[in-house]
Amino acid sequence: MAWLKTWRKIAFRWRRRELDRELAEELEFHRALKQQAVGDLSSIQMGNMTLAAEECRDMWSFLKLERLLQDMRYAARMFRRTPGFTAIAVLSLAVGIGGNAAMFTLVNTLLVRPLPYRQPDRLVRITGIFPHAAAPFFQQRERTMDIAAVSPGSEFNLSGAGDAIRILASATSANAFSVLGASAAMGRAFEGAEDSPGRDGVLVLSNSLWRTKFGGDPSVIGRVVALNGIHRQIVGIMPPTFSYPSAQVQAWIPMRLDPSNFLEYWGGEFVPLVARLRTGATVAKAQLEIRPLIDEFRKTFPYPMARDWNHDSTPIALQRDLTGDIRGKLIILLCSVGLVLLIACANVASLLLSRATTRRKELALRVALGAARTRIVRQLLTESVLLALVGGGLGILLGTGALSVFKSLLPSSTPGLAEAAIDWQVAAAVGGLALLTGLAFGIAPALSASQVNLAQPIRTGSQRSTAAFWTRLRGGLIGAEVALTVVLVVSAGLLIKSLYTLSEVHAGFQPRQILTVRISPNPSLCTQRPACIALYDRLLEGARGVPGATESAIADAVPLDAEQPDLAVDVEGHPKSADHPAPMLWAGAVSPGYIRMLGIPLLAGRDLADADGPKAAAVILISAATAKHFWPGENPIGRHIKAAGEQQWRTIVGVVGDVRQYSLSKAMPDWIPGALYMPYAQAVREDGQIPASMTLLVKTRANSDGAAREIRTLAQDQDPNVPVGQVQPLEEVVAGSIANFRATIRVFISFGGAAILLAAIGIYGLVSYWVTQRTYEIGLRVAIGATRARVVSMILGQGLRVALYGIAAGVMASLAATRFLASLLYGVGATDPATFTAVTALVLAVAIAATALPAWRASRIDPIVTLRVE
Amino acid sequence: MGRSDASELLPGTLDLLILRTLAAGEMHGYGIAQRLRQVSEDVLQVGESSLYPALQRLLLNGWVKAAWGASENNRRARYYTLTATGKKQLLSERAEFSRVVGAIEKVLNMA
Repeated sequence: MAWLKTWRKIAFRWRRRELDRELAEELEFHRALKQQAVGDLSSIQMGNMTLAAEECRDMWSFLKLERLLQDMRYAARMFRRTPGFTAIAVLSLAVGIGGNAAMFTLVNTLLVRPLPYRQPDRLVRITGIFPHAAAPFFQQRERTMDIAAVSPGSEFNLSGAGDAIRILASATSANAFSVLGASAAMGRAFEGAEDSPGRDGVLVLSNSLWRTKFGGDPSVIGRVVALNGIHRQIVGIMPPTFSYPSAQVQAWIPMRLDPSNFLEYWGGEFVPLVARLRTGATVAKAQLEIRPLIDEFRKTFPYPMARDWNHDSTPIALQRDLTGDIRGKLIILLCSVGLVLLIACANVASLLLSRATTRRKELALRVALGAARTRIVRQLLTESVLLALVGGGLGILLGTGALSVFKSLLPSSTPGLAEAAIDWQVAAAVGGLALLTGLAFGIAPALSASQVNLAQPIRTGSQRSTAAFWTRLRGGLIGAEVALTVVLVVSAGLLIKSLYTLSEVHAGFQPRQILTVRISPNPSLCTQRPACIALYDRLLEGARGVPGATESAIADAVPLDAEQPDLAVDVEGHPKSADHPAPMLWAGAVSPGYIRMLGIPLLAGRDLADADGPKAAAVILISAATAKHFWPGENPIGRHIKAAGEQQWRTIVGVVGDVRQYSLSKAMPDWIPGALYMPYAQAVREDGQIPASMTLLVKTRANSDGAAREIRTLAQDQDPNVPVGQVQPLEEVVAGSIANFRATIRVFISFGGAAILLAAIGIYGLVSYWVTQRTYEIGLRVAIGATRARVVSMILGQGLRVALYGIAAGVMASLAATRFLASLLYGVGATDPATFTAVTALVLAVAIAATALPAWRASRIDPIVTLRVE
Repeated sequence: MGRSDASELLPGTLDLLILRTLAAGEMHGYGIAQRLRQVSEDVLQVGESSLYPALQRLLLNGWVKAAWGASENNRRARYYTLTATGKKQLLSERAEFSRVVGAIEKVLNMA
C-alpha cells in the first residue's frame, strides 16, 4: 500500500494547482452552508481555515523532502543576499578541499593502492645492490622466495626503426615478469632461459614506446631492431599499467647471465633484486634465510669484498621500496594541506558563528511564530552543509589543477604517478569530507543560535548580552587559525631560506653562456678508440666555426646533469683489503680546455693540454677533495692513480677546485671521496672502453641566438645514426637539478599565502563582529568622554590578544613540527631563529592590519546616532 | 460538559466516525459534519480544521474517493464515497475501537 500512497503523492504534484483550487472551493462551499445555518458567522466560529488548507496540502506532500528543499531554497536566498560572505566561505572551502582532493589522490595512488601485479603483498625487494652473479646464486639456494634481478635501466640507441633514438631500457633476469606477476598485453614476456648468452636477443616494449615509436602497430611483434647495434627481436608489449622499475623505462631486455664474462658477471652494473615470497613464507622467515646466504655469496666473489658488504640487506615490501623517497614528502604535503583545510574550516565556522549571532533577531522571530528549535538547527545545518558541498564541488575542480602541480613535485619516474587522477573514490572521500566539514563547522553556530532567548532579541533589537561561551569559542577558533598559519608560514619561510642558501652555493664552476648537447654513438663505435677520438676531434673542430662561439669542449658528464661516471680506482700507497675495498671516484673524461671553460680553478700543477694525446704518458687532474682524502697535507702532484684492474699508472699533474657534480646541496655522495679528470684521448670507463656518449659544450658570446641550432646541425651532420639530444644552456641544467625543490617551495608559499589570507579574513571578521556587537557600549563610552584613540586602542588590544595567543601557540607548534621538514631543508636549521622572528613579525603585522580597519570604524561611531537607535 | 471537539477524541476515532458516516452513502464535507452533530445529539462537533485534513488523509489512503456533483441547493459540491478498501478499513477499525473501548470500560469498572 505504501507505494500506492507514494504514487498518489507524486500524481498530486501534476495536479497541484487544480487540487488547491478544489480545496478552496470546497471550503468556501462549507462556509456558505454554515453561514446559511447559523446566520452571522464570526471568524472564531469558523475555525482556522488557512491552517486547515495548509494541513491538507501537507498531507499530500513529501514533507521531509519539501522541508529540505525549502531549507535549501532559503539557504540559497541567504547566500545570494550576502555574496561577500558566501564567496569567502566557498572559496576558503574550495581551496582546502581541492588541495585535499589532490593529495588524497596522490596518496591513494602511490601509497595505498596495491601495485598492479598479481598478489602484490607477496612482493619484496632485497635492499642493497648485487652483481649479475647474485641472480642465479640466490635463485638456486633460496627456499622462501623466487628471486629476480631488475636493473634500474640504462640508455641505449634504438635503431632499425626510423631515426635512431635514445631509450632507457632495463635489463632483467628471465623470470622477472613471472616473479612480478605481470604478463604482456600483446606477445609474451621473457621465458625460460632467455637470460643465458646466445638466447638473449629479445626485447619487450613498454606501451608508451610502442605507441610513440611504432605507432601502436600490433605487427611489430616479431620485428628485429637494434639496441646499441645489437639485433634483438621484439617479442612482447607490456600493458600501460606496467611501470617497473620506473615509469621512465621504455623497454626490457634480458640480463645476460654469463659466468665466462668475468667483468660483466661480477663487476659491471650492480642491480637490485626483487622477489616473490613463496606460499607460507613470511618476510621474517625470508630475512632469516637471506642473511647467511649473502655472507656465503660474498665469499664467492673473485676479488675481495668489504666484510660488511650488504651486511644489512633485508627484504622489504616492494611498494614501500618504490615509494620510499617520496613517502615523507607526500606525508608532509598531506599534513600541510590538511592544515589549510583546518584553517578554512575554522574561518567558515567563525563566519557562520558571527552570522548566526547577527541573525538572532530573525531566528527569535521564527521561534515566536512557532518554529521548532530542531527546525532552526536543521535550517542552519542545511546552510552550512550546502556551503560545504558547493565548496567541495568547486574544490574538486580546483583539485584537478592542484594535482598536476603536486605531480610535478615528485620524480616523474615514480611508478603509477602518470596515472594518478581524481577518481570516484577520491571524489566520494572529498564529498564525505565536505559533508563532515559542513556538519562540524555548522553545529556550533546552529546550537549557539538555537539558544535564543525569545523575548530579549525582539525587544532590544540587538544583542548586547551575547552568550559569552560562543564568543570565546570564536576567539579560540581564530587563535587556532593564527597558530596553524604560523606553522605553515614558518615552513614556507624555512624552505625559502633553504632555496636562497642553495642559490648562493658556490657550485665550483661558471655555467653562464655555455650551451650543451648530448651526443651518443653506439658503444660499438668506440671499440676502436681512434674512431671515437676522431669523431669528437671533428666535432670540436666544427664547433669552433659556429658563429658566436668562443670556446668549446667535450665531457662525458657535466655538473648536475645526472650522469655519474663513477670509477673504482687503485691509489698509489693505499692498498686494497677486505676492510678497504677499491675506492670509487667521480672520473670525468674531458677535453683540454674544459677546466678553463667552466672556470674551475687550477689550484696546483698544470691543466690538461692538447699534448696529452692517446700516445702520450697518461696524466690526470684530481679535485681538492681527492687530494685531501688520500694525501692530506702532502703534495699529490706526481703521485699515481689508475682504474681498478688497469696495468699502467696515471700521473697526477694538477689539482683543481671541487665542483658540485651530483647535486647543489651536497658535495659528493658519502662513498665517493672526490673527483678526477682524464684527458678524453686517454680516458677509460669501468668496462675498460673509452666513453662513447659525450656532451659537447660551446661557450658563446651573449645574444648568439642562432648558435643552438647551428650546434645541433653540426652534431647531426657527423653521422645520421648517432642520436643527438636537445641543446640546453648549462644554466638550465643547473636550475633543472633543483626544479623539484623550487616546485615544493612554490606549493608551500601558496599554502602559507592562503593561510595568511584566511587568517586575516578571520581576524577581520571577528573584530568587526565585536565592534558591531558593542556599538552601543562604544557609543556610550564616547558619550561619557572616551577619546577616539582610547576606543581604537581598546579594539586593537582585543584583536591583538587573540592574535598573540595564536602566534605563541603557533611558534610552539612549529618548534615541534618543523623537524619533519628537516629532510627538505638546506643550510638552515629546522628551528632557525631568524625565520621564526620574521614570520612572527609578518603574522603580527597582518593581524594588526586586519584589526585596524574595524578599530578605525569603531572610532567613527557617533554616540548620538547609536544611543538613539537603541 | 456539553460539546466535544472530535479532534480531541482517541487518535483515529475521527477517521472511523467519518468512514461510518459515509457507509450510509455519499456525502459532502458539510453534510458529514452536520450528520455527526445530529447523530451524537450535539456532543460531537467536528471543526473544519480537523475535518478536511482527515478527509484528505482518507483520500490519500484510498479509503474514500471524491467526485464533484450538484448539492441540494444546486451548488457544486464535493461528494465523498467509501471505497472497497475503505469498507474493509471500517470493519477492522470498528473492531479495534470496540476492543479498546471494552478495555477502557473494564478499567473504569474495576472494583
